[in-house]
Amino acid sequence: MPVQGIRAVTNARNGVGAFILQCKRLDFHYCDWAGSSRGMVAFLKNTLPSFAKANPQIEIRVSPRPHKHPVIKGHYINGREKAVCVRNLEPEQIFQKANLLKEASGEKLKRTKKPITSINESVRGIWSPYHGDVKTV
Amino acid sequence: MRPSLRLLNLEVSSLQGSRTLYVCSVCRQEARPRPLVARQFLRNASNATPITERVRRKIWGTDNPPGLKDPYGGEGVLERKFKKDQPARQGEESENLDQATEEAQAESEADLAAAEAYEPATSWEGLPRVGHLGRWSDLPPSETDGYESFMLKKKVTKKGQLSLAAHQAAVEISLMHTLNMPLTKVCDVVEHDKSVFKMLWKCKIQPGANGQWSQAVVYPSKEAEKALVYIFEQIGGHPEPALAEETAEGAEEAVEESKWEDLVSEVNDKNIPFFGYADVRDKGFLSLPLDDPATKFAFLKRFSQLSGHYLPDPVIHSLATVGQAVEYVHSALNPKPKKLADYLANSQGLNNLPNVKVFAKKQMPMDRDEELGRKKVIEAELRSRGLIE
Repeated sequence: MPVQGIRAVTNARNGVGAFILQCKRLDFHYCDWAGSSRGMVAFLKNTLPSFAKANPQIEIRVSPRPHKHPVIKGHYINGREKAVCVRNLEPEQIFQKANLLKEASGEKLKRTKKPITSINESVRGIWSPYHGDVKTV
Repeated sequence: MRPSLRLLNLEVSSLQGSRTLYVCSVCRQEARPRPLVARQFLRNASNATPITERVRRKIWGTDNPPGLKDPYGGEGVLERKFKKDQPARQGEESENLDQATEEAQAESEADLAAAEAYEPATSWEGLPRVGHLGRWSDLPPSETDGYESFMLKKKVTKKGQLSLAAHQAAVEISLMHTLNMPLTKVCDVVEHDKSVFKMLWKCKIQPGANGQWSQAVVYPSKEAEKALVYIFEQIGGHPEPALAEETAEGAEEAVEESKWEDLVSEVNDKNIPFFGYADVRDKGFLSLPLDDPATKFAFLKRFSQLSGHYLPDPVIHSLATVGQAVEYVHSALNPKPKKLADYLANSQGLNNLPNVKVFAKKQMPMDRDEELGRKKVIEAELRSRGLIE
């Protein structure tokens, strides 16, 4: 019996399917005792379940860090990590910080000097005086 | 060393300790023998004449200055006395020693004589009694020594049983209110008979508009009402003074009944509280008010007795209804977790998610090694190098 291919056409998703989130892990550290962790504790209690559910591709770890300020640490697939101290922040602000770490690329922050950057080489190539039309002075 | 410098050197000299060992000046001061202090001033390497003598000679300008040989008046009073006493004491001590040795010899001879006269006993007669000393602890236990606790030995933990205890207490206190009897008398009967308990269980409570306890009980039937009124009249004792004799008899009967009930309950349902009943029939009793202090006290006393839970004073002060009392005991039994890790471990929202991990303890670098599977290798290597045991 000959093998038959599946008669289906791939869905065009405009490159969305190829995207891989750079953040692979988020660590949430808190302290049970300190007052600076109040917002973090509230975030972990109330907001974290929905946040974790919305981002299934990110591993989330929650662990105490006694007598220290609360911290969110992001681990990225380029091997770098980013940590944000969220002491005395409200749960909404902590949610914004978590989103920031989630969307970050993991690279060091760089100043963008030019409006367009590309990793592709120029199609036209470098200008040369020996090529092209004969130039008349 | 020059004599003037030597005078300044009050520390241990090099002759007393080796020079190779370093000793700090404080320690050298400590180690220095005391009598040296006085002598240091008197001694000189060149001759034995003391410094005072040399000063005198210099002042007078001659080798034999005039004046007393000892300018300080010779020996002190204490020294003279000590010299006098010493020979006398030595004599006394020698006499005492002689006496002691004589006594010891006499004792040893008496012991030897007693050992020869010893005969082993063949019966207990005449021997001194050892053991029972007539103290309270040696006597067998009497009736007064027995102790029965007011509360249950085992606390009630289930919410249904707590409600049962509160319901029973509320019905009993309401009955006592209607009968106009002393309220706390209900605590005399720790546990009712099963039939009585069943009647109490069937009673409903409908608190009136004023929140009065006296008219709150709704009996299941007329017979049950009669029986309960009779029983609680017995328990409470008659309030009328004309029937004093009857009340005494009634009280005795009640006591007897309660004893009998206790016996029955011990035989039948020794370990089952509330005869296996799980929950109350209606929840009307929860809204009964606890405004009256006497009623509040009586209810909480009975409730504590039935449930086995004490209520602290501030809580008692803040309680307004029966429902709050039940709720307080229930919340005290199931306290909220103090640690966030416990809360998160119990929360359903996070437990179902596969990408969330909650740790109860701080994560150390060693935990990371363990997670990556290199902890054993590291430990083995450290052990082979003798860095850990």
